[in-house]
Amino acid sequence: MVNLTIDDKQVTVAKDATIFDAAKAAGIRIPILCHDKKLHPFGGCRMCLVEVEQMKGRLIPACTTPVTEGMIVRTTTDEIMTARKLVLELLLLKHPLDCPVCDAAGDCDLQNLTYEYKVNANKFTDEKFRWDIDYENPLIERDQNRCIHCGKCSRICDEIVAFGAYSFVNRGIEAKISTPFDEKLDCEYCGSCISVCPVGALIAKPFKFKARWWALNKVKSVCSYCGTGCQLTLGVKDNKVLTTVYDEDQGFHNGQLCSRGRFGYQFINSDKRLTTPLIKKNGTLVPASWEEAIDLVVSRLSEAKKSDPSSVAALVTPRLTNEELYLFRKLFKDVIGTDSIDHSAGYAHKALTEGLKESFGITASPSLIEDIQKTDLLLVLKSDAYETHPVIGFEINLAVKRQGVDLRILSDKSGKLTRLPDAKKYIHKPGSEILLVNAIAKSILDQNLADPAAQSLPGFDALKSALAAVSIEQISAAAGVPVEAITRLATDYAKAGKALILLPIGLGYPGHGSELTSALANLAILTGKLNKEGCGILILGEKNNSQGAADLAIHPTAGGRDAGAILEGCTSGAVKVLYIAGENPVVSYPDKAKSVKALESGAFVVVQDLFLTETAQMADVVLPVKSFAEKCGTFTSVGRNVQQIRKAISAVGQSRSDREITAELISKLSGAACGGSSAEIFTEIAASTPGYSSLSTDSLGDNGVIYPVVITPKLVPVVGVVPETEEGKFALLIGSSLYHCGTMSRYGEGPMLVCGESYLELGRTDAGKLGVSEGDTIKLKSAAGELNLKVKVGTRMPEGVVFVPYHFETSAINSVTAGNPVTWVTLSR
Amino acid sequence: MIVPLIKGLQITFSHLFKKAVTLQYPEEKPVVAPRFRGLHTLKVSHNSAKCVACYLCPTVCPAKCITVEAGEDANHEKFAAVYEIDMLRCIFCGFCVEACPVDALGMTQEFELANYKRTDFVFSKERLLEKR
Repeated sequence: MVNLTIDDKQVTVAKDATIFDAAKAAGIRIPILCHDKKLHPFGGCRMCLVEVEQMKGRLIPACTTPVTEGMIVRTTTDEIMTARKLVLELLLLKHPLDCPVCDAAGDCDLQNLTYEYKVNANKFTDEKFRWDIDYENPLIERDQNRCIHCGKCSRICDEIVAFGAYSFVNRGIEAKISTPFDEKLDCEYCGSCISVCPVGALIAKPFKFKARWWALNKVKSVCSYCGTGCQLTLGVKDNKVLTTVYDEDQGFHNGQLCSRGRFGYQFINSDKRLTTPLIKKNGTLVPASWEEAIDLVVSRLSEAKKSDPSSVAALVTPRLTNEELYLFRKLFKDVIGTDSIDHSAGYAHKALTEGLKESFGITASPSLIEDIQKTDLLLVLKSDAYETHPVIGFEINLAVKRQGVDLRILSDKSGKLTRLPDAKKYIHKPGSEILLVNAIAKSILDQNLADPAAQSLPGFDALKSALAAVSIEQISAAAGVPVEAITRLATDYAKAGKALILLPIGLGYPGHGSELTSALANLAILTGKLNKEGCGILILGEKNNSQGAADLAIHPTAGGRDAGAILEGCTSGAVKVLYIAGENPVVSYPDKAKSVKALESGAFVVVQDLFLTETAQMADVVLPVKSFAEKCGTFTSVGRNVQQIRKAISAVGQSRSDREITAELISKLSGAACGGSSAEIFTEIAASTPGYSSLSTDSLGDNGVIYPVVITPKLVPVVGVVPETEEGKFALLIGSSLYHCGTMSRYGEGPMLVCGESYLELGRTDAGKLGVSEGDTIKLKSAAGELNLKVKVGTRMPEGVVFVPYHFETSAINSVTAGNPVTWVTLSR
Repeated sequence: MIVPLIKGLQITFSHLFKKAVTLQYPEEKPVVAPRFRGLHTLKVSHNSAKCVACYLCPTVCPAKCITVEAGEDANHEKFAAVYEIDMLRCIFCGFCVEACPVDALGMTQEFELANYKRTDFVFSKERLLEKR
């Protein structure tokens, strides 16, 4: 620690702090334009000039000067004020004073400082810049004329997003921020550059001219797309969510968001939102009153309950709050008495509910998101982890680039993560993950690198004998990864001081189930990489509350039907009433024909959703619900963080929250009153859910609380199956596009502007062989059906492997897949 | 007792021979001071409203009677797609005119704002545009 004096105030800070950091810690504000707490110091704007007693004679930039013992700093002498005023005058010389039409006004650092330093005249005169403004980009509008050359956009894109879309070009007065070769901006559209721009040089196009910054009501909430659990601030005006507002002090990610989090909020106030309940009469859905709709649902549910409770089934989305999931479980398992309730197609939660349950005795990851930057070696399963969880991807970028973490990617395709500095990729044949993980485990045992403590754990002998039959050479041949690479990875993993495994799960990862989880858990247990900082295994749930759905057991636990069986039950007539809350099996579940058949089978289908989705269109009753911005509650994100969402706007149309609807159904079906606020239900959850016992809504606060877990490790032998290959065919992998999450993001304007339709991604060699190029239409044929898709040629896909995202309803990929990790398809022009 | 009464009537009768102070409105119209704060006007320059929809007038308005909605024209310029003042709420303080950074808003001598329907008191952009 270093002691110094700033403006007569004694400050003690860490020795790697700068004067700026020290002043901030002491509550002294130093004005600055080119600094963000996430970025390395830059020293570009010269606003933070201060005077240091020991360095008299010149002014020192506070943001780049490290503190030294006994330093005496002054931040507001007359000389400093004059210097800062001069800096502002020079910046304003070229800056267009178009504040009335600039969207940054009110939130503009330059405007605020100009006001604060009373710069109302300029001793210099010059012409303004006349750069062309980029109006073409769908999400990011760039006006170089307003740029003050702080370089924050290019630095955040490079340091944190690791994309590098911008850089300074030219010199002197010609200098400007530019894209490569000054071409149009084509990036990840995360909008991080917009969030840090101190002026209005970069603005969010969907929010352009919508409202002034000061008119927005800022409501803190949690993003409702992926499971990362990023906190966001919603900008609300006139009961409409108009934008997301940047706050560098929010969450583990310091306000950093991805494309869909920042630009995908429009679904909340979409014109397509359902506003009244609908009931099917004579084959068409017609608006009805809530009373009529609820009475109909209650009568059908109580009828089915009386005759056979097991003829009722429910599919519930993990996008709901914990409180709503809890009530759903209560309604179906306790009040009606059916165990047929499931989510995420029945397979996407198995890594948590079965894999971890068996290996660790809990249904949550033992590791936390913060472990990513604290580990030494990071093993990521599938490069797609970046696509499905972009903000965790930023954490990986930071871990690699700032902490020097050794990144290993075991994946069936390349991707953003494999391009990170010194990242080692192990590209294997699709579907051979379990084999490879077993081979690593075998290699660890062969090299005697196993932790001695692991030998006394249950399952060690079973695992050892199971792995005895495993041949690394055979696996190497089957998976297409060299033996040396496998053994080297095993050695490095076992010998690393700290090692963390990341496993993304979800509808786009059909192969990431309980077996793969147990196989990976074996590695961590074998090498003793558990219960330590930066060690263990972190499961990345797909949806905002995937972890909560696993914690609250929204899956069959007493022999009930799982999602697949529920749909089959509808078709066979065993399921009479199907209650679907927020799920969209027609688009997102594998095997579209199966879902459609089930919904057409004659079972009474109730759908609760924000939109008239493809599934809702086939329902008998559709109930409109509130989005996350219209209700209170809690989400449990990756790394067991329980966070609160807050109500930002009042209900759209007549929509009611899932909590209100379910509580009413419970009251009417059981006769006992069920109600209460989210906080009261959360108290019930805390009392009945393992791990949640210490939590209450008051204790959650702004940052949420990570609930504690105790693990009981057990080694579980898993048998990997050599994936079948079909000669002359392509391996089709499904997954997520970077700009989408599930099927909800299709109702967000931002994601659709960047990625509005389905596509088929393939490598250059394959494209050459097939004679197709970017934008062509290609015919894809599998045993189940055929599709026409637009071609996207990239460098990600290995030869013989193609990729299609699963989010879209037109040319829906689930009409050719059946839920297998790999589907073999033929492609033709 | 009688003296004060006579004094009072003296004043009354003297007014019979003075010039009347009442104005025969509406036949006669008052002369309004040049800086009178009457009906608002949106100034026009180069055949379009000067207003750039900066929202400073609704921000400063103490009566919250101004509604602005910005739009983007073909040249990507910001303009007021909607500009409405609710004259029933307006207190004619003139803060909006003072706040305007582009001198797009003014106040006229027009004070005859009576109308038959409440909705007629909401002045749309078309009604507010400067008449030339």
